[in-house]
Amino acid sequence: MAPSAIVEARDVSRIFPMAAGPVAALRHVSLEVAAGEYVAITGPSGCGKSTLLHLVGCVDTPTSGSVRFDQRDIASLSEAERSRVRLTRIGFVFQRFFLLPMLTAAENVELPQAEAGAGKAVRRERTRELLAYVGLENRADHLPSQLSGGEMQRVAIARALANRPVLLVADEPTGELDEDTGEHIANLFDRVHANGTAILVVTHNPVVAARASRRVAMKSGRLVE
Amino acid sequence: MTSLALAWRTAQRYRARTVLAIIGVAVIGALLFDMLMLSRGLLLSFADLLSSAGFDVRVVGSLSVPSLRLPITGSTSLADDIRRLPEVERVALIRLESATVRIAGGPLRNITLVGTTDVGEDAWTLVKGVNLKSAGAQADRCALVIAQPLASALAIGPDARLTLNARPPGVVSVLPPMDCRVVGIAEFAFASTDDETAATTMDAFQEAIGQPGAADADLVLVASRQEAGPTATAQAIAKLRPDLRVFSNEDVVAQFNRNGFAYFQQISFVLSSLTMVFAFLLVATLLTVSINQRLGEIAALRALGIGRGRIAAMLLWESALLVGTGGLLALPLGAALSVGLDRILRQMPGLPERLHFFVFEPRALVIHIVLLLFTAVAAAAYPIWLTARLPIAATLRREVVG
Repeated sequence: MAPSAIVEARDVSRIFPMAAGPVAALRHVSLEVAAGEYVAITGPSGCGKSTLLHLVGCVDTPTSGSVRFDQRDIASLSEAERSRVRLTRIGFVFQRFFLLPMLTAAENVELPQAEAGAGKAVRRERTRELLAYVGLENRADHLPSQLSGGEMQRVAIARALANRPVLLVADEPTGELDEDTGEHIANLFDRVHANGTAILVVTHNPVVAARASRRVAMKSGRLVE
Repeated sequence: MTSLALAWRTAQRYRARTVLAIIGVAVIGALLFDMLMLSRGLLLSFADLLSSAGFDVRVVGSLSVPSLRLPITGSTSLADDIRRLPEVERVALIRLESATVRIAGGPLRNITLVGTTDVGEDAWTLVKGVNLKSAGAQADRCALVIAQPLASALAIGPDARLTLNARPPGVVSVLPPMDCRVVGIAEFAFASTDDETAATTMDAFQEAIGQPGAADADLVLVASRQEAGPTATAQAIAKLRPDLRVFSNEDVVAQFNRNGFAYFQQISFVLSSLTMVFAFLLVATLLTVSINQRLGEIAALRALGIGRGRIAAMLLWESALLVGTGGLLALPLGAALSVGLDRILRQMPGLPERLHFFVFEPRALVIHIVLLLFTAVAAAAYPIWLTARLPIAATLRREVVG
């Protein structure tokens, strides 16, 4: 593993046991994301993009092969340790935003910071700074139901950046948005990348994929670069 | 943001679910609270009734049973002996007999005649007129304090005159009637709402049954000195007359608890358990449904690194908020319900007017709180287990595909 690599998936396979028989979602895939790199994974639906993203994002473990994050094999970590890695080192952006509907935009951004143990004043300042960064400083006290789709995704990006992750993983971040709003999100990703955060994005959106410094295509659970 | 704050916000967010759950728990909790008050209510009320008479030890004949009291041989001298015991504060002799009364020109009415040496009248509460110990009453050969139902039935008040005929059971009475004066109307502690009772002095009673100065009492009531206590006093009296049965009020209550009130405790236990199961099912179902609707949200939180502990704590608080708020509302609701239920149950004939089925005691409140806390934790257990074993990646995938 190169010293600058944040995460390295080596020869990973992921097989899901199903009623009709096991399904191999990933077959012997290797992928490395270096610090500050911007990687886009593209491919048809069901080709294993999200499965690879979940392995790299430490929310799942491979059936075979290994995933090393910060040079530690994630399969050797306990669930609590993996949770800590996700909290402090990785930021997640989901297609469906998954903001807590009962919390305001600011509170959604504060939540991961509180979990990481940041003090109230620090949280407030960081949240204000992040909401300004995504252009939503005037929407801080709004509930997700009072925000547009694009605004919700911007809040989700602010939440993902809350604990200053080294890697931002995004699963179809523009999948629920119109073209213009998707472009705004792509621009925001550019800024995040320019600030030194590595990005791994799964996308069907050619605009987003085009912004990546490296594009990886997948088909039937394999990389087809 | 604390887990409690998250739970509070969730409760506010899903308002309809929250309100329904709270109402459900309040209704179920009210029933639980009532069952707890019922489980010992009659016993507590009975104990209170016994102690309200101002005596804490009872002496009856060896063959007596609660429904059939036989005269105690030598009760007058026994009372004197008991009075001399250092443990004893006060002694009263009681005798009950069937009798009839009639006002001039009116029909005969069957009554229970109570003769007592205790004219302190702890066993009744005077409503009108004067008590037996008043100077005016003591001047009468036969002064009576009569129960309210009897006064109502005869439509008489204090100073009314009536004739009294004692009718000991199994005896054809040829006793001459006594002319008596009603000096007071009272509520008798042990009398039922329809009970027609009259009390007089033991002297007048003995005269009425044709044994002036000689009739034995069938019950000796003793008030122990505070420093001695009822148990020591009962033991001292038992040594004095081993042929008699001596009970402290606690003994009487314990005996009734074993024999008479066990049904209420069993019914209460069964119904309390059922209400707890209902509360558990209600809250567990609502939380589980709620969790199933929020699986994506929870999987996302886990993916963001929010620990299982915080999510479990949030669910526990959600459950505690629903059950706690419902449980608090259950208290006034249960209290109001118990008043109505008590009124219905007390319509049973023959019950002392001051006996209640639902009696509040701090113990009932403590048990109510403990049981509801247990219910809250138990109801949250399954949803917590669901979220703890939630496969994050699979759930996120399902949410997107769905």
